[in-house]
Amino acid sequence: MQRLLAFIEHNVHIILFVVLQVVCGFLMFYLNPYQQATFTHSAATVTASANQLTANVTGYLDLKDQNIKLQDQVADQFRNSPEAVFHFLEDTLTIKDSNRVALFDIVPVQVVYNTANKGENVFVINKGSNHGIKRNMGVISSEGVAGIVLTTSARYSSVMSLLNLNFSLTPNINGIDYYIPIKWENKHVNILRIKGINKLEEIAVGDRVKTGSSTALFPKGIHIGKVARITTKQSSQYFDLEIETATDFRKLNYAYVVINKDIKSIKALLENVD
Amino acid sequence: MWIRVVYWMLILAFQVLVLNHLDFSSFVIPQVFIILLISMPLGWSKMKQVSAAFGLGLLADLFVSAPGIHASACLWLVLLRIGILNTQDIKQQIASKMDYDVKSVGLNSFLYSSVILVFFYHFYIFWIQNIGSLQWSNYVLTSMISSLLAITLIGVLQYLTFQHRS
Repeated sequence: MQRLLAFIEHNVHIILFVVLQVVCGFLMFYLNPYQQATFTHSAATVTASANQLTANVTGYLDLKDQNIKLQDQVADQFRNSPEAVFHFLEDTLTIKDSNRVALFDIVPVQVVYNTANKGENVFVINKGSNHGIKRNMGVISSEGVAGIVLTTSARYSSVMSLLNLNFSLTPNINGIDYYIPIKWENKHVNILRIKGINKLEEIAVGDRVKTGSSTALFPKGIHIGKVARITTKQSSQYFDLEIETATDFRKLNYAYVVINKDIKSIKALLENVD
Repeated sequence: MWIRVVYWMLILAFQVLVLNHLDFSSFVIPQVFIILLISMPLGWSKMKQVSAAFGLGLLADLFVSAPGIHASACLWLVLLRIGILNTQDIKQQIASKMDYDVKSVGLNSFLYSSVILVFFYHFYIFWIQNIGSLQWSNYVLTSMISSLLAITLIGVLQYLTFQHRS
């Protein structure tokens, strides 16, 4: 208490200063019309900004509730009229070339089962032979390559995920096809590996890895991922690439089956060449 | 005591009757009366200094019909002056309760604090007067010219006082 009194006594001029400044403020902004108008205008601006900020914060904090409400509404719609919800999934998209000849059909599907924690990961999609889906068709997500169809039933298909030790695909990096398989090694989720790229190749971290021309399952230029890390040994002439998959397999809910319209013709042609 | 009162009245009269009506420009008005606050006796208590600043500021406001503006500026000026004086080695002058002027503290110390306080005062005054519609180039120019003019006049006043005393 004594310290407080001593502090007040030592700084009493500051207290007087503050009190007198308040008086001055009152005189300035109450008795001077110009300053009063400015103060009123500024106060209105500050109040409006504060209200806007409050509304933004409240709106942001309310997003979770709004999200739950929307999810409930969608779920209700699912329960009441599933046809309406699945309608857009049944629209097949056709990719045509410059002569308007159909090259690929893209069939939207929903992932109904998925794993990413095993050595041989597969996922199941909600369409099968009834929808024209067959074994060895490519499956992509909205981000990039997802897998290849393994088996089909009438209404469902199983798909070999990119995160499968048996999966193999030849990549295209910076416009150049590399005939070295890109594989998953079951070490990290969403990380693939390409071994044995010559050190003279100009590849850098961040470069995009895409599908090349050496596969008929996927259209050329579909993202597989991007170079996340380049590793090498000093004595070696080659380096290995770690590729971060474009598709996040832990969040895979929707995908597209790629149906190559000319796959039979191409295969037949290649068989004749062989 | 009476000499001080007369001196203060003369300076204040010089400000309100002469300087406030100089036809340099409608904006360039050197506030020379703040020399009274700058050169307040070093023996005065801080309470007394703050009170004197408020009173003098209100008096100045009375003549320009803008209540509160000079009073507020004078209060800030005194607070800043207390801060500046704390950084100067003037214990002997404080003990002797001398006035804060060129003769007592020397030209360098006085000029240093005067320049800071005069510039601060003019920038503050012109800012408050034009608050809300400040034209920066005009504001800086008028504040600078008024400050320089005020410093010059304060220098002349100090010289005259110095001559008178010696």
